[in-house]
Amino acid sequence: MTRPPASASPTAEPRWLRWLLVGSALLFLGLNLALPLAAVFVEGLRKGLAAYVTAISEPDAISALRLTLTVAAIAVPLNIVIGLAASWAIAKFDFRFKSVLVTLIDLPFSVSPVVSGLIYVLLFGLQGWFGAALRDHDIQVIFAVPGLVLATIFITFPFVARELIPLMEEQGREEEEAALSLGASGLSTFWHVTLPNVRWGLLYGVLLCNARAMGEFGAVSVVSGHIRGRTNTLPLHIEILYNEYNFAAAFAVASLLAGLALVTLVLKSLLEWRFAGQLAGKVH
Amino acid sequence: MSVTASAVVKTFGGFTALDGVSLAAREGEFLALLGPSGSGKTTLLRILAGLEFPDSGSISIGGIDMSDRPARDRQVGFVFQQYALFRHMTVADNIGFGLTVRPRATRPPRAEIDRRVAELLELVQLPALGGRYPAQLSGGQRQRVALARALAVEPRLLLLDEPFGALDAKVRKDLRRWLRGVHDRTGLTSIFVTHDQEEALDLADRVVVMVHGWIEQIDTPELVWERPATAFVCDFLGGANRVKAQAVAGQIDVAGVRLPNRAPAMVDGPASAFIRPHEFALAAPGSAGIAVVLRRILRTGAQAALETETGDGGLIEVTIATPPDGLAPGTALVLVPQTVRAYPAG
Repeated sequence: MTRPPASASPTAEPRWLRWLLVGSALLFLGLNLALPLAAVFVEGLRKGLAAYVTAISEPDAISALRLTLTVAAIAVPLNIVIGLAASWAIAKFDFRFKSVLVTLIDLPFSVSPVVSGLIYVLLFGLQGWFGAALRDHDIQVIFAVPGLVLATIFITFPFVARELIPLMEEQGREEEEAALSLGASGLSTFWHVTLPNVRWGLLYGVLLCNARAMGEFGAVSVVSGHIRGRTNTLPLHIEILYNEYNFAAAFAVASLLAGLALVTLVLKSLLEWRFAGQLAGKVH
Repeated sequence: MSVTASAVVKTFGGFTALDGVSLAAREGEFLALLGPSGSGKTTLLRILAGLEFPDSGSISIGGIDMSDRPARDRQVGFVFQQYALFRHMTVADNIGFGLTVRPRATRPPRAEIDRRVAELLELVQLPALGGRYPAQLSGGQRQRVALARALAVEPRLLLLDEPFGALDAKVRKDLRRWLRGVHDRTGLTSIFVTHDQEEALDLADRVVVMVHGWIEQIDTPELVWERPATAFVCDFLGGANRVKAQAVAGQIDVAGVRLPNRAPAMVDGPASAFIRPHEFALAAPGSAGIAVVLRRILRTGAQAALETETGDGGLIEVTIATPPDGLAPGTALVLVPQTVRAYPAG
């Protein structure tokens, strides 16, 4: 009777197949993610470090960076609150038209970002529904920061809610009911039971939301007006540089944006590492 | 504290979960809600806890109407079937939760909470496990933590939803004796839900048998077992053979054998008679009684179980202490019922 080698596990695939699968996955990731990311930095540095520094420190680039961070700093916290409220309501309570709400949350994902931008122009632009009223009160939404924030909120709304709804639904309502029967108020139940149970999902949703808020191009492009130094976010600034055949500067600024994304990921890993103990405690 | 539910009705969509249920638990009583799934027992428990509101009817605890008060105002301890421990808190924090979330004015000082938690950990026999997380405990340990957490707020009433449902048989039996002990020490009015008749009869002071959102019988375990009020109760308690019979002049006629009815009296006419496996005697063919053919014989320790078949193909199970010699499959026998509980047929 022949016996398989002692090291082989009866439920594992043969070694060559595992290597083939892992290898093709790595090759794909390398070609599609790592290579372009490296290209961004290489192209940005093509004309030397001095040109790179100039590109990212000229006033228009600084202003674009500041605007991008401002928009994200307003849109992300608002979406945390709205996303938490929506997912809490959907996962823990029953009400009429719940499925309508769930569908609406997905709307920003299914609609092209250009259309989302146009919606705001139609609503708040000079010729739009509220255009006249806004002009009378001297409020500018389109081609100004409020428009950028609104469009970004719309585009990034699903990230937090989509991350939390399945998690909260899977956790059920029993822990909340237990807290209520122990005398906790609705608010302290949310604060002490619901929120801690979803904190990792929430963090992940926030990071994705933030990455998209900083990187959003389509909708923001429509409502921005591309006023240099005033309504250009980083992605818009990159496009302008690129259209002006200023490739090295375009890639230099792009590397800045990519850098922000990498910082977000590192932050997430750091938090996960720092709170590994608590993560282990919460396990299923 | 005493508890009453009067004429409680609850529907979910088109489904009637409770159809006018009334119930009273006396101070210090241990009550079992027993019934098959879908009988409304868990819904009744949740309504008592304030986790659901009834469509109509009222709930009072300690003589005070609580019908429209939410769970947090009722001071009722609730133990969930799946424990519902707070997964991100340690065992000690779980137990202390009900005290820590109290408003500042009524919240005990931290040291007092710690003392109470230690005391409860002692009571549920887990003194060393305060620092663990729920995921690191066994099912039986989680169940005891859930109980300690419910007791921490000094509830006026303890409600347990299938408290042993998710445990294996051995742990189950130990834990239920232990729970009865805790109840007897604390004197807390307790109501638990179960679908296991043995558990209900073993543990409760009185058993409430429910089906289809309706209470069939409320009695002591002995009376529920000896005098089941309806055919459903008799059937649900399990094991009984159902045979056709006639009620004649206040007695029950089963295949020519006349016996007094152990069930509540019924009018003369066709009846369904329930006879438990141990309530038969064997007789030779030709005697009065149910003529059967022996199909199988199983010796289970001290007793023997006989599987027999009647003329019209019905199966009757019989247990006897000492089977006569020469009993083999195919033997014709007559079963003479010794005790019978009969209900109007239909």
